[in-house]
Amino acid sequence: MKTWLLLLLFPFFSQPSATEIVQKAEEKLRGNSNEAEITITIHRPSWERTLEAKSWALGTEYSLILLKAPARDKGTVFLKREKEIWNWVPNIERTIKLPPSMMMQSWMGSDFNNDDLVQESSIVKDYNHSHMGRQEVAGFDCYVIEFTPKPDAPVVWGKIIGYISVDGYLQLKSEFYDEDGFLINVLEGSDVVEMDGRRLPSKLRMTPVDKDDHYTEMTYKSLKFDVPLKTSFFTTQNMKRVRE
Amino acid sequence: MKLLFILAWRNIWRNKRRSLITMTSVLFAVFFAIVLRSFQMGAYENMISNMVGSYSGFIQIHDNGFWDEQTLENTFEMPTDSIRSIADLDGVASVTPRLESFSLVSTGRLTKGTLILGIDPSQELEGLGLQEKIHPGNIFVNGETPGVVIGSGMAEYFNIGVGDTLVFLGQGYHGISANAQYPLVGILDVKNPLLSKSLVLMPLDEAQYLYGAQNRLSTLIVTPKNESKYKTIQSTIKDYLPSSYEVMNWEEFLPELRQTIDADSSGGQIFLGVLYMIISFGVFGTILMMTAERSREFGVLISIGMKRHKLALTTMIEATLMSLIGGVAGALLARPITFYFNHNPLRLLGQAGDALETYGFEPLLPASLDWSITLTHSLTIVVISVVLSTYAAWAIFRLKPIEVIRS
Repeated sequence: MKTWLLLLLFPFFSQPSATEIVQKAEEKLRGNSNEAEITITIHRPSWERTLEAKSWALGTEYSLILLKAPARDKGTVFLKREKEIWNWVPNIERTIKLPPSMMMQSWMGSDFNNDDLVQESSIVKDYNHSHMGRQEVAGFDCYVIEFTPKPDAPVVWGKIIGYISVDGYLQLKSEFYDEDGFLINVLEGSDVVEMDGRRLPSKLRMTPVDKDDHYTEMTYKSLKFDVPLKTSFFTTQNMKRVRE
Repeated sequence: MKLLFILAWRNIWRNKRRSLITMTSVLFAVFFAIVLRSFQMGAYENMISNMVGSYSGFIQIHDNGFWDEQTLENTFEMPTDSIRSIADLDGVASVTPRLESFSLVSTGRLTKGTLILGIDPSQELEGLGLQEKIHPGNIFVNGETPGVVIGSGMAEYFNIGVGDTLVFLGQGYHGISANAQYPLVGILDVKNPLLSKSLVLMPLDEAQYLYGAQNRLSTLIVTPKNESKYKTIQSTIKDYLPSSYEVMNWEEFLPELRQTIDADSSGGQIFLGVLYMIISFGVFGTILMMTAERSREFGVLISIGMKRHKLALTTMIEATLMSLIGGVAGALLARPITFYFNHNPLRLLGQAGDALETYGFEPLLPASLDWSITLTHSLTIVVISVVLSTYAAWAIFRLKPIEVIRS
């Protein structure tokens, strides 16, 4: 009887578990460490603005983002160091520690929030993952995975539906739902290109569902993996010194 | 009729003491009513001129929806020509553009939430008389770097003076970061205590740059030629501008000021009502006394053939003349006092003053010089005394000559 049941379930075991898929996708996107040059375009119905930034990340605990353009924001740095997030604002010469309450606030006026940028919460550690079948997204056969937050996880989403390609573990689409089950944001990846030996979507577009003609697009100009970085690079002292 | 007037006039001066008592009671009534009301109205005028005249303006134009949600997203762009065309409308003295927003301002270890006002220095300083209020420094541009002017209350809070640097941290148009440092170039002696603690002025173009809102305005302040006609001008502008703009008068954007005044004013009116009542009994007393004293005289006059209605009319003319004299004298007596306190207003000290300050009002009690106060209250009291004098007329009609002559 038991063997018969196992046989019946076999097809499901043949595919990796949801958590494994998410882990692999994250590993692919981040590597041990990475260094990226990004262009961020914030689009509004009658307004548009482009930011240029450079980012460094080491594991999931350390990351640093340096703004390079426009001139008025040049030199602004966001640092994530373990559980703390710091912001260096050069034109007022102040280091500001961002409180956890600000994690859901818009980052530099974009549709990404501070948490999206510095990844204080982790889609691997803070969520339970379950398979919801397969679906084609932008020409890729994708696993559909439901992320439900763990009870004590510091996250605000009610759930996330992620679409991760079967081939190559690309995160092509994520839908963010609030506690009441309403769809709030959609993050879509596109323009899959090879960057430092890995094929990844080079364009990420965050679209808030309830606002017309609002979106923020993040384009990777370059992305390097496993660059030599030490934890000493991710300090509040270095925030003030870091250059491109 | 002329004869009756002559009779009445002579009657008044026949018993000087009695008439003087009546006149004096009217005089004090008018005097107190005017002085009381002048102080009240003067305090309101001061509140209005502190808030409306020197800060908010009588009429404001915003993008539709700005008032309900005062964010930089609800600002508008308007070419200079269009602004000028509003200024050319009938009854409009001037139109001044502003960009308003909020920011955290910090120096040393102190930080404060403030109201940032980007103004056109050439227009606003002249139009609202701000220049004469800026005491140490008086210009925004200190050499090459633009500076800011803050209220004296805030300068006191931060314990800073002209030349010190303030750090601004805020959010601009479409969430763009609005961070900057500016030197303090002037301190503004703002009368309104709340504004004094929270107002920061900077040049309009600098505010537009700081908030990333190039060419955008939050408010147009319209100054009417005649301040009391703001409602007419408001509707003229409303008809002129498309409906994508909201045109508001100060009673709409400062309803709490209007309501405070209305609430306080009705309290004053109740007080005046009590004063009127006391005065009425005083005046009535003198009329009662007069009627009783002169009943024998009235009896004799009727007996020798004087028509009752003519006699009644004479006494009423007497009462009117006396209350008129008393009223005019009272008004004349009140005038120098209101005039003095208009120029040398009383300042409330201690707890009463602090209480007013927490409401955002300057604890100052200047007397109003509005002639309408004088006119309303002297007329009211004259009318009251004339109405009361009908008692004398009524008594004359009821008089039984035989009885009063024999008594």
